[in-house]
Amino acid sequence: MAQTWDAIIVGGGHNGLVCAAYLAKAGRKVLVLERRHVLGGAAVSEEVHPGFTFSVCSYVVSLLRPWIIRDLQLSRFGLELIPLECSFLPLPDGRSLARWDDAERTRREIAGFSQRDSEVYPEFGQAMAQMARVVKPLIDAPAPKPGSLHPRDLAELLKLGKHIGGVSAEHRLLLSKMMTMSAADFLDEWFESDVLKAPMSVSGIIGTFQGVRSPGTAYVLLHHYMGEIDGAFRSWGFSKGGTGQISNAIAAAARHYGAEIRTEAAIDHVMVSGGRATGVVLEDGTELRAKTVVSSVDPNRTFLKMVGKQHLPDDFVTQIGRYKLRGSSGKVNLAVDRLPSFSSRPGLGGHLRGDIAICPSVEYLERAYDQAKYGEFSSRPYLNVVVPSVVDPSVAPPGQHVISCFVQYAPYNLKTGPESWPEHREAFGDAVVDTLAEYVPDLKESILHRQVLTPWDLEQEFGLTEGNIFHGELSLEQLAFQRPAPGWAHYKTPLNALWMCGSGTHPGGGIMGACGALAARAMLTGRHV
Amino acid sequence: MSTSGSANVVVIGGGHNGLVCATLLARAGRQVTLLERRGFLGGLAAGEEFHPGFRSAGVHLDTAFFRPALAAELDLEHHGLRWREREAAVYAPDLAGGDPVVLYPDDVEATAGGLQTHSDSDGSAYRSWCSDVGRLGGFLRGVLDAPPPDVDSRTLGALWELGKKGLALRRLGQRDMAELLRVGPMCVADWLNERFATDRLKVLLAVSAITSAWTGPWSAGTALPLLVAQATRSRSVQGGPAALVDALTAAARAAGVTLRTDCEVQRLLIEDGVVKGVRLQDGEELEAGHVASSCDPKQLLLDLVSPRDLPPVLVRRGLAWRNRGTTAVVHLALDGPLHFTGCEKAVPDGLVERAILGTDIDSLERAFDPVKYGELPDRPCLEVSVPSVSSQGIAPMAPKGQHVVTIQAHFVPYGLAGGWNEDRRQELRECVLKTLACYAPDAPGRVLAAQVLTPYDLEQRYRLSGGHLQHGEHTLDQFLHLRPNPECARYATPLKGLWMCGSGSHPGGGVTGMPGALGARSML
Repeated sequence: MAQTWDAIIVGGGHNGLVCAAYLAKAGRKVLVLERRHVLGGAAVSEEVHPGFTFSVCSYVVSLLRPWIIRDLQLSRFGLELIPLECSFLPLPDGRSLARWDDAERTRREIAGFSQRDSEVYPEFGQAMAQMARVVKPLIDAPAPKPGSLHPRDLAELLKLGKHIGGVSAEHRLLLSKMMTMSAADFLDEWFESDVLKAPMSVSGIIGTFQGVRSPGTAYVLLHHYMGEIDGAFRSWGFSKGGTGQISNAIAAAARHYGAEIRTEAAIDHVMVSGGRATGVVLEDGTELRAKTVVSSVDPNRTFLKMVGKQHLPDDFVTQIGRYKLRGSSGKVNLAVDRLPSFSSRPGLGGHLRGDIAICPSVEYLERAYDQAKYGEFSSRPYLNVVVPSVVDPSVAPPGQHVISCFVQYAPYNLKTGPESWPEHREAFGDAVVDTLAEYVPDLKESILHRQVLTPWDLEQEFGLTEGNIFHGELSLEQLAFQRPAPGWAHYKTPLNALWMCGSGTHPGGGIMGACGALAARAMLTGRHV
Repeated sequence: MSTSGSANVVVIGGGHNGLVCATLLARAGRQVTLLERRGFLGGLAAGEEFHPGFRSAGVHLDTAFFRPALAAELDLEHHGLRWREREAAVYAPDLAGGDPVVLYPDDVEATAGGLQTHSDSDGSAYRSWCSDVGRLGGFLRGVLDAPPPDVDSRTLGALWELGKKGLALRRLGQRDMAELLRVGPMCVADWLNERFATDRLKVLLAVSAITSAWTGPWSAGTALPLLVAQATRSRSVQGGPAALVDALTAAARAAGVTLRTDCEVQRLLIEDGVVKGVRLQDGEELEAGHVASSCDPKQLLLDLVSPRDLPPVLVRRGLAWRNRGTTAVVHLALDGPLHFTGCEKAVPDGLVERAILGTDIDSLERAFDPVKYGELPDRPCLEVSVPSVSSQGIAPMAPKGQHVVTIQAHFVPYGLAGGWNEDRRQELRECVLKTLACYAPDAPGRVLAAQVLTPYDLEQRYRLSGGHLQHGEHTLDQFLHLRPNPECARYATPLKGLWMCGSGSHPGGGVTGMPGALGARSML
């Protein structure tokens, strides 16, 4: 009989690795199994073209919880974050807006478009930062349990009530509006100029199959004010060496604490016997036994593919079947032989040391969404572009660059079916390059290599069901105590000894690590592992 | 200055909510004067002659949401109100001429039975959906028919009320509570797609979620309006809104309310934050200790109260209030009945009273898309009513054999790019008739006269800001204690003596009578 583990973690993405590191640190015998040849899941760096390292999927980081960085001493294991300096919005008419770390500089830039908005902007930032402070405890703790009459849960709920009750009435109103309004409507209350409203509202739709005018998209604005790097509030950053370095650092920490990690170990299914998970069977037939199995892959894949309906209550299967994963975004990575030069701000400049938004107006974004609703990719999509090689020369040969374009909308469910994506892949890549070339005139000549990832590719390559980068939409009914299903938001599953620790659990997607850490904590405190 | 005595309370607006509020106040012994700008009472529920011999039944045709308990409290049956024996069936005709999908609002079994011909599973799916919604409905009615929770107060009474709401929610049981919290913020398309297969059944149900909304069926938060509509629907009034208005008017008179029509309020008289009365357009001033306004919040806060009398926070709230009208109303005088293709078998006498024209959920979403850009849809979703069918023999609305058709067209933007003018109005008329003709080919040829009310016309005619029929969008952030804003949500306002009692207050628009009733109760 083979070795027995305390816990087998399915999936070597950042959450799986964080969970493994915490369990190993607590002295448990842990094995992480990753299907691909590299670790990191969607937080991965790969040399896709000789000499060019791409952050293939996820490309910026802000929400990685500082307490996890401290607990796991990630800096010691190679984590190095470089803050973004700027948010840049080029416009088709040759004008542009850059928002900088420097408040006065930003004010002057905005005043070029609207004096009024330039005055409101800092006020808005303050209000958002305060809101973020209200919401932040929610992402650092397990989801509340409304309806539970257990004294401990009631006490938690009361504490939460007190916390929110302690906020001023005006801020409480702002918070309820944020939780329910559309990002565009919400920003309409503050600003008049599209150059602010368009790039700010997009944070509400990232990874979601909604438009900026869809209710419920405003709260994601907060995410942008919740990020912190080295304690500095409201910063986004690159990871030196690409986002994969984050995963590598966490993996190094996990190994340091004694976890074993195997790559190219694809799991066929979870073994179930006597009503409990007892281990996993690999695709090559190897059986690995463990006291607990922890899945960091998305709920759909975990329950409907790896476990199987027959081992789960019908109700739960229905709930998981209703869980919405509709992927809506793709990724285009370019290796280029020169610095991308924007016609609105030619040459090298601070504006390239941050993120660049291609979304000239709210209407532009909404039209991109309308097209996607009926099963087409947007012919003029929203792009979030970064050129990490400007701040981190290690990712490209000297003088050459990598350009990463996050693209929305690319609906998983194409009119012609998701499996028809490969036929549309190059047309999709062309739409992205054409769009960007409107702002960077010599882009097309400079391309050495183009990597196009459609939602279908994200599913096939990275195991993200329907290509959803957050393991499920971050819509109100799929958050907190309802993620991934009402009653099952605390990492435990209806199958004994099977746990969840991926982005499909509270507090959700993005490189936070909180899902993995909170899951580990839940298992350890309950002595389930 | 002329003073017409010192009426205790002035109620602004003679729509159904104003009438309910005035009557309840008068019954409690207050001296009440109700002021209506137009020449007759009823507001959006008032019937009017729009072509010689043809009367419309008003803009808000559905009376099934008027609360029976309130009708009983007001003794409306003594004042001539009769409930319908059978609710009108709602048809979704087939574009290709096949069988219609039929919804019988008061008969789950008949509806489920009919659905069998369209889908094997939808009959039972409809039964179980109705029973699920029914369980949640009890809790929702409790929430909707009481003043909104006072979330900011720390008094024992407020906490007790809040606690009771929490307990009522808890009493639903874990499962139903979870379902309510799950469905509430969802989009109606997802919810209906989870439950049903028949496209036109989904259209019939989804339409109540998008009426007067600035959201399409794929927008989050649209499941809640459907849930609310299902939970609060009961019996309709025989004779429609006009008959309801007649009964309400009689009740108001009997209670001693002074009803004054052709009285347009110019502004409120306010001294040091205290309401002293109102000034009419003709210069007359009426003194009052209390003023209850049933007009929409934007109009009240931004037009009727001078900015120097209003706390700045309320000016801000008034400006932030979202009331972008998206529904146009078209009244048609028809030289004969309205025949929908394919409905002959289902409706033996050929007289369809209500129909909803749309092929599937996406057709509703496509009708919504252009609104965002201030454009007209190619094919709007039409809610068609033929009120003259049920009024035959009671109070005829049209000459014998002829009919009145009222169409609510979704989505038609108030803020049309380039603005509304006669050409654009004609364009809308053609667009509506063309869409109608797809389902009822001979209808356009039978039109004797058409009255087209764009959202802009509705604003002018009914003095309705934004042309919004609900006085403000029904979205989660304009719901409960946020309707119309935290300062005014419990009917009182920061101005002493000024109250709200219209659709802009909880529980919102539609002919429910509840904002008027809850407003009056708060005042008492």
